[in-house]
Amino acid sequence: MSSPILEAKGLVKSYDDGRIQALRGVDTTIEAGEYVAITGPSGSGKSTLLHMLGGLDTPSQGTVLFRGSPLGADADLDLYRSQHVGFIFQAFHLLPTLRAVENVQVAMLALSQRGNHRAERATALLDEMGLRERVNHYPNQLSAGERQRVAIARALANDPAILLADEPTGNLDTANSANIMEILRGIQKRLGMTLVIVTHESDIAQSAPRHIRIRDGRIEA
Amino acid sequence: MAVQLSFAGFAWKNLWRRRLRTLLTLGGITMGIGAFVALVGFSRAFEREWLRIYTNAGTDLAVVETNFINTSLNESLDSKIRAVPDVERVAPMIFNLIDLTPDVNSLVYGWQASTYELDSLTFLSGGRFHDGQPEVILGNLLADDLKKRTGDTLPIQGTVFKVVGVYHGGTALEDGAVIMPLDQMQVISSMDGKVTAFHVRLRPAPPGESYDGYVKRAEKEIEAAVPGVHADPAADRAANNGLVSMAHSVAWGTSTIALLIGILGIANTMAMSVFERTREIGILRALGWKGWHVILLILSEATALGVVGGLAGIAVGWGALRLLAALPQTASVASASISPLHLAESMLIAIASGVAAGAYPAWRGAHLSPVEALRYE
Repeated sequence: MSSPILEAKGLVKSYDDGRIQALRGVDTTIEAGEYVAITGPSGSGKSTLLHMLGGLDTPSQGTVLFRGSPLGADADLDLYRSQHVGFIFQAFHLLPTLRAVENVQVAMLALSQRGNHRAERATALLDEMGLRERVNHYPNQLSAGERQRVAIARALANDPAILLADEPTGNLDTANSANIMEILRGIQKRLGMTLVIVTHESDIAQSAPRHIRIRDGRIEA
Repeated sequence: MAVQLSFAGFAWKNLWRRRLRTLLTLGGITMGIGAFVALVGFSRAFEREWLRIYTNAGTDLAVVETNFINTSLNESLDSKIRAVPDVERVAPMIFNLIDLTPDVNSLVYGWQASTYELDSLTFLSGGRFHDGQPEVILGNLLADDLKKRTGDTLPIQGTVFKVVGVYHGGTALEDGAVIMPLDQMQVISSMDGKVTAFHVRLRPAPPGESYDGYVKRAEKEIEAAVPGVHADPAADRAANNGLVSMAHSVAWGTSTIALLIGILGIANTMAMSVFERTREIGILRALGWKGWHVILLILSEATALGVVGGLAGIAVGWGALRLLAALPQTASVASASISPLHLAESMLIAIASGVAAGAYPAWRGAHLSPVEALRYE
């Protein structure tokens, strides 16, 4: 039996002195190696929940537990994000001045790994993503699908236990969407990683063994 | 072959993406450091030359009026100073900066014909002047500039002087100067019966007493014997006389303003850069970069601007010093050399400027919320 890798306990996130509540008491548990889809209408709080789970943001009330320990002060969150979490965003968020291989390495700079190790690992990850011939290309020389594959390689750079993807196919055409989802599911199965995807797309949500629906900041039964 | 990304390489790429802005910023800090190297180097060369005048002549002390930058003392105090037991020789003198032609100004000294200070000069032609006569001797640099030789005449402040000798001194200040009888200098300077200072050569220090201790004791003896005067060691007088003080003040003041402009340039560039890269900083934070990683990146960029600007500024300053040393108007007091200490100071100021200018943008970048930064358009 697998153990919880992430637990959300009574998560509340409010803005503007409490006048706006993005999350209104969310409780959920995600097991290690699980593949979970989070869906809901725009503004329902699904991205906010993903940010809390990934340590990008802190809740106004409640706690996120990683392997049973609460995520705490800012410094711990930095370490948590660099060591245990890989993020994939809808807008790819690659750095325009860096080549594909450098964009992957930039994640490893946070962990002070040796320079030659960084370059070797980044090249190997891009090779896995089918981008062997594109390692020295800049983001503006890559297609949207290729950019997202570079972003996936970057998310895997520090060998995280959890992959968090926020609308990873939102900027892609059908063929590229299918390709990206195949890559993500392949990684999740092969490496036994925990994969949490926020999506609007029902076919992607259907492909996940577990599905969390959020509406108005609450998980629907 | 895949490219290896280093922290320094990342900082450099960030600077190079906005080449024009980076080059303009470098221009600002280069000018600031260049002004510092040239102006402060010029004023220090001036001070060194001044000290060499005292050293070459064997002057240990300069007696001047207390609390005045441009001092004026009664010539009659000569005998009181001479009466101090440790004093061997006393040389009353006047010095001033005077326009000799519309293009050439020069230091003009009034000395007595019998002064020991003339002993350190080597005459290339002619010989010493005579007290009470409208005669001058010229340093060889000045004689070349003015195209004057022994036997020619030289009008100064409405009086026509005869050039009776051309000498070579130990310093550029002497070689670019005019020396005339003290009484003649008193007339053209409207300082009848007055002198600027008395230069004093002490007897040899008694056995067992250090030179510094001996000079200190002699200072006190002179100040006790002649109330209202101040006896300065030669090195202090070289550093603190009115002309050198003014040169130092102008040099530091001007270069400080130039440096401030350079620092503001870097600060503006780094602030703009952090503002434009808000989302990128958010990405780095999302990837696990700690706040201090962001601070280090931005400070590295600002420091790189300081280092490159500093090196370029030293080159510009050195070029300016060479130019000053070649110009007839400034050749007598400028030196084209830069001391290692001055080089180190310049680089230190350049690096400190970079760090100071980058500090606030770096702090701001490190304190951006990752989520807010990622949402930034």
